[in-house]
Amino acid sequence: MTYEYVLEMKGISKAFPGVKALNDMQFQLKKGEIHALMGENGAGKSTFIKIITGVHQPTEGEMLLLGEKVSFQNPKQAQQQGIAAIYQHVTSYPDLSVTENIFMNHEIRHQVWKTLNWREMHKQARQLLRELGSSLDPKAQMNTLSVAQQQIVEIAKAISTKAKIIIMDEPTAALTARESEELYRITEKLRDEGTSIIFISHRFEDMYRLASRVTVLRDSNYIGTWDVEDISNEKLIVAMVGREINQIFPDKKTSAGDTVLEVKNLSKLGEFDDISFSIRSGEILGMTGLVGAGRTEVCQAIFGINTFDKGEILLSGSSIRNKNPQAAMNNGIGYLAEDRLDQGLLVDWSIEKNITLANLSDLSSFTWIHRDKEKRQAKEFGEKVHIKATSIFDSVNSLSGGNQQKVAVAKLLTKDLKVILLDEPTKGVDIGAKAAIYEIVQQLAEVGYAVLFVSSEMPEILGMSDRILVMKEGRVAADFVNRGITQEMILEAAMGEEQVQEKSG
Amino acid sequence: MEQKKQTYQPRTLETNLPFSWKRLFFQWEWMLLLILVAVLLLGSYVSPYFLNYPSLRDGTMVFLDKALIVFPMAMIMIMRDIDISVGSTVALSSVVMATLYTSAGLPMEVAIIACLATGAICGLINGLLIVKFKELSAVIVTLGTMILYRGIAYIILEDQAAGGFPEWFGFFGWGYVFGIPFLLIVFAALALLFGIVLHKTTFGRKVFAIGNNPTASRFSGIKVDKVKVIVFMLAGLLAAVTAIFLTSRMGSTRPNIATMYELDIIAMAALGGVSTAGGKGRVLGVVIAVFIIGYLQYGLGLINLPSQMFLIIVGALLILSVAIPKLGGMMKRK
Repeated sequence: MTYEYVLEMKGISKAFPGVKALNDMQFQLKKGEIHALMGENGAGKSTFIKIITGVHQPTEGEMLLLGEKVSFQNPKQAQQQGIAAIYQHVTSYPDLSVTENIFMNHEIRHQVWKTLNWREMHKQARQLLRELGSSLDPKAQMNTLSVAQQQIVEIAKAISTKAKIIIMDEPTAALTARESEELYRITEKLRDEGTSIIFISHRFEDMYRLASRVTVLRDSNYIGTWDVEDISNEKLIVAMVGREINQIFPDKKTSAGDTVLEVKNLSKLGEFDDISFSIRSGEILGMTGLVGAGRTEVCQAIFGINTFDKGEILLSGSSIRNKNPQAAMNNGIGYLAEDRLDQGLLVDWSIEKNITLANLSDLSSFTWIHRDKEKRQAKEFGEKVHIKATSIFDSVNSLSGGNQQKVAVAKLLTKDLKVILLDEPTKGVDIGAKAAIYEIVQQLAEVGYAVLFVSSEMPEILGMSDRILVMKEGRVAADFVNRGITQEMILEAAMGEEQVQEKSG
Repeated sequence: MEQKKQTYQPRTLETNLPFSWKRLFFQWEWMLLLILVAVLLLGSYVSPYFLNYPSLRDGTMVFLDKALIVFPMAMIMIMRDIDISVGSTVALSSVVMATLYTSAGLPMEVAIIACLATGAICGLINGLLIVKFKELSAVIVTLGTMILYRGIAYIILEDQAAGGFPEWFGFFGWGYVFGIPFLLIVFAALALLFGIVLHKTTFGRKVFAIGNNPTASRFSGIKVDKVKVIVFMLAGLLAAVTAIFLTSRMGSTRPNIATMYELDIIAMAALGGVSTAGGKGRVLGVVIAVFIIGYLQYGLGLINLPSQMFLIIVGALLILSVAIPKLGGMMKRK
């Protein structure tokens, strides 16, 4: 049978009770093509992948593999048909060896004895890794490897299962620039050997560098497919978010006051080194850099969750050292955690109890909690940040990501703070809630908070910050005043020059 | 551009819940009450001696001493931990008290204080081990100290009995205040105290927060380790109080007293609605569960059923109590 596409999807939809997770998806994957898949968080990318890999079954539409109609009932069937997926958070067996990971579920056995043929598996593992240009020891334990090395093992596993289609889900998100480069090389090699690759990434540079075509999803809908050569940055953003991005940032009308927070030569072995910066009252300091550049670690050291070896933290001129988060908050420093579900909120609890959790001592006398005071405070701060809910008793579980984030912000506001550290405050929230969070951040600055705004997303760093601090491998790579700064300048500082030139050239 | 900028309608958040019959009656405590009534009816049906006041009163005393520990145990379980060393702590505290009085010749008052201190120290050790060695689960830590504390009790008393306490010491086990057993008064007072602490104070709120999400609690400025150590110390202290009542009632002590207490106590807390996954539980439910399990044991004793029978029934009740909320959830999903 002849076929035009390796994988083709016609009108695929997936509905869960109450939600349409994917609507009328169209997708064509050619042989030996790298096809980028882009979209905001929650756009339907993961549902799409889960349908291809057999985790979910579509409610409508049909899927053609090599021109033949297929429907996968489970991941194993998809695997047998040559579909493999590699995730950002590698889903391997960390305590097992490289060989065991590669041959998991398709082990090689002795012809006669039917026992595991370790010698043959190690040999083939070494061979596969060598083909990928890696000299990893097949007997090494998986958790002793870096994320990049683990991904190479996963790729080797995909090849060993004779995968025709490899899905890579944000593979570069946790990699350094050099490691990304290595991954690009391997990906291109696979493509040249005829493997088709679906490459999912938030990074535009990944797409420009690798893909020949790009498909965009938005709000569970298929938006379109373009040749990468024909599409501009602006067009792509409009496709992804549905409107131009510069409309969503609030106008700046702040004038900065005195220096509130000053960080001097903060160092911790293996995490960050010689970090110095200061934030003035009413100022938004943007902090960016690649994932793993040490941003969260710095925030948590200031907030008293992590320790640091050297350096000094000054608040309004006097040196402080926060032993724990409580001390930090009493000193006037608040921290909005990056992982809001695990670190920021008690998701089974009501909005009310989440908002008041950090401020119980003010709402109680002799530890007895005054419920009426508590309700009043929850209402006041919940309304201040525009939480969309009917009552303060609604559970945080029932809220959207953006509204959950607003609850976490409201909790910080109950404390008498001077400095607010926001660690990826818009991660995983939809565009409308993003705009609302930007508005709140801007208001915080206007009423005099010193704001540290940590983000990986260039547009929001450029749209929100007064000054921009770029981190690279645990160090401050650049400190810009946000006037005439471009994405390229930030990327250059975050990644090192040679790579950016390569990309623009 | 200007008209496109987002404007927010002012939103109000409701602060009063409308009255709901469903909320009032859809509670585990009602279920427990029904079970308790069933146990009482069944008991009076199988034995004419069951609902007779003096015998019921004495039967109550038998299980009420260990029930004192159920309150801190509920707190521990709400925080996703467990303490299986409480029975051993009872024995060790009791043995220390008896030895100080009989062998060392110290006044009984001093021996009682030493008993309380021993219990608190046992709890403190549990708590410190659990917060310092986070990779060890509470089950493993307290399994270790369960064997350790019991072992120390055996070394002190060498499988003998110690007794001969002053007459006034018998008051704890057998005394009455206005016709009500002193132990029952202490139990009620503790139930009230723990009910208030757990449900009305900042400390209780922190306990629930830790059980719900320990990381987020720490990020919210709660000193998680401190709260945990305090609660484990409370469990040790209450185990020592139990030791006083138990020793008083028996008139003497041995290193093997209070064996398997931890299982009854954990069963009482779990049946009372303390979630095994942490974060949930109410003192009222725990109190009802104490009486269910206690009267079940007492009733089965009256009709001379073997004690294994009791274990089977408590086990079945426990599984039921864990399964019923899940069944409800499953039906909702369909």
